Amino acid sequence: MRTLEEVQATLQIAKLKEEDLQKTIHCLSFGENVSSADYCLMELDDTLCKHIESGESLVIRGDAEERAVLCSGDKTYDLKIADTSNMLLFVPGCRTPDQLTNSQESSHVVHTQIWGFCNSYWELRKHRPKLKKLKKLLMENPYEGPALGGQEENTENRYTMQDLLERIQASEEELKTHLETIHASQIDGYWRMLDFDYEMKLLGHVTQLVDSESWSFNKVPLQTSLEELAPLEPKEMIEHCLNCYGKRFTENDNIFYALHEDKVCRGIALLLLQNAIKFNLKEFQEVWQQSVPDGMSARLDQLKSVALVDRNSRPETISLLRVEDLSEDTLERFNHLFTLREKWTEDDITPYIQDLCGEKQTTGALLTKYARSSMQNGIKVFNSRRPVAT
Amino acid sequence: MLVCICSSRSSVDGSSPPEWLLVELQGEMVSRHNSGLAGNVMGDLMYTKEGVPVLIVGHHILYGKQVKLEKPFAVLTKHSSLLQDSLGSHDNDDVTQVPMETNQQGPTSTSYSVSALIKRKLIFKTRPKPIITNVPKKV
Repeated sequence: MRTLEEVQATLQIAKLKEEDLQKTIHCLSFGENVSSADYCLMELDDTLCKHIESGESLVIRGDAEERAVLCSGDKTYDLKIADTSNMLLFVPGCRTPDQLTNSQESSHVVHTQIWGFCNSYWELRKHRPKLKKLKKLLMENPYEGPALGGQEENTENRYTMQDLLERIQASEEELKTHLETIHASQIDGYWRMLDFDYEMKLLGHVTQLVDSESWSFNKVPLQTSLEELAPLEPKEMIEHCLNCYGKRFTENDNIFYALHEDKVCRGIALLLLQNAIKFNLKEFQEVWQQSVPDGMSARLDQLKSVALVDRNSRPETISLLRVEDLSEDTLERFNHLFTLREKWTEDDITPYIQDLCGEKQTTGALLTKYARSSMQNGIKVFNSRRPVAT
Repeated sequence: MLVCICSSRSSVDGSSPPEWLLVELQGEMVSRHNSGLAGNVMGDLMYTKEGVPVLIVGHHILYGKQVKLEKPFAVLTKHSSLLQDSLGSHDNDDVTQVPMETNQQGPTSTSYSVSALIKRKLIFKTRPKPIITNVPKKV
């Protein structure tokens, strides 16, 4: 270990005057474990730094075929290794001038170990969570209602929250939010997606009850609904349906639901659209309005991102196109959309690219990057940048 | 597959990981006799009265400056252990270790802990100036 005298000799050779320097001199040496490579450096943003300081953990998620992502409790980040031509040394015991007390009268040596070093680090970039896989997994065994007498329930391909957290590249909060969005329900400890026909059956029970009881669909009583419908379906499923299609509130200690007009109408539209490739728009709108509960109005704007209207065909048509069925990859998504239709107006395409926007990114920016615009009949339309087969 | 990055393995009271200093140098560092770096002296670091960091490495003297990092770093230490038990309850406060399927015998569990946070660095970007020695001073 170097002594003060040796250091002072070096200073003299280097022509540094002791009186120009602060009193503490760090003698740096490499620790024993520097070459062990069992450590690495990761770049953080302010949010993650605070997370770690408050004791929260982070998780890296990804299968062998997937690119790894880092998740905090509520956000997802892309991981990438960045190289630098510089050497980065980490020194635990090293003080900076503002931390030195300078109370000592004379120079002294502090032996300080370099704990590790590297010339690359992990870079993080905030990323949309990869949630498409969630629906895919849950559709392996959708819940069709309680097993009928004699029939065995299919217990394969069921996933608990823990299973999902291991497989889905998203933070826990993003995952929970998406489970709500796709109307998944926890049944027997497993997260299940409802078979669509079953979900619509439940909704049908509820809307028919509202109709026969002459309730306002803004004030559907929970207790009575459960009692009346108990012979038909499990109470948990009725309540789940109300949670998906309505908003819960309490009045005088009683629980009510205000059915959400847009959600109910959209559900019924999906039921009608799923059985054919295309519908005559006018006919569809008539049937649809007749199918929704009395007092609700079915409007085309309720179907943004789930159905596509073709105003250029004669007669005008409507078909099912759900954004959640499209690719999560931006380029693939645009290629697919342009394959379906050569030219899109901004109004038509926006619902199908909204979810691709990164933080602070607009759909306008995406269109500038991935599409080419032109004017058609006085309206701005977008088409593909490269040739696509239609 | 899940790899957990735990805030501080040894910290029981949940206190924040320690803050270390980063020293950034241009170029590579090799040991004089090719004996590897571990255990060897690297150099002397000192500060002028104005707070300018000065580093003497071998026959070179470098002047640097102290910089606050725009994006802080975390120093992650890897821990691999043979999995003994099955998973504990999934509780955000606990250290959750999850097995990774590996080709080796028996499942191993990999996790990282945050050994330190780095928010500032000393960067030495100027060209090192050689120290001309005439006669080595005897102590």
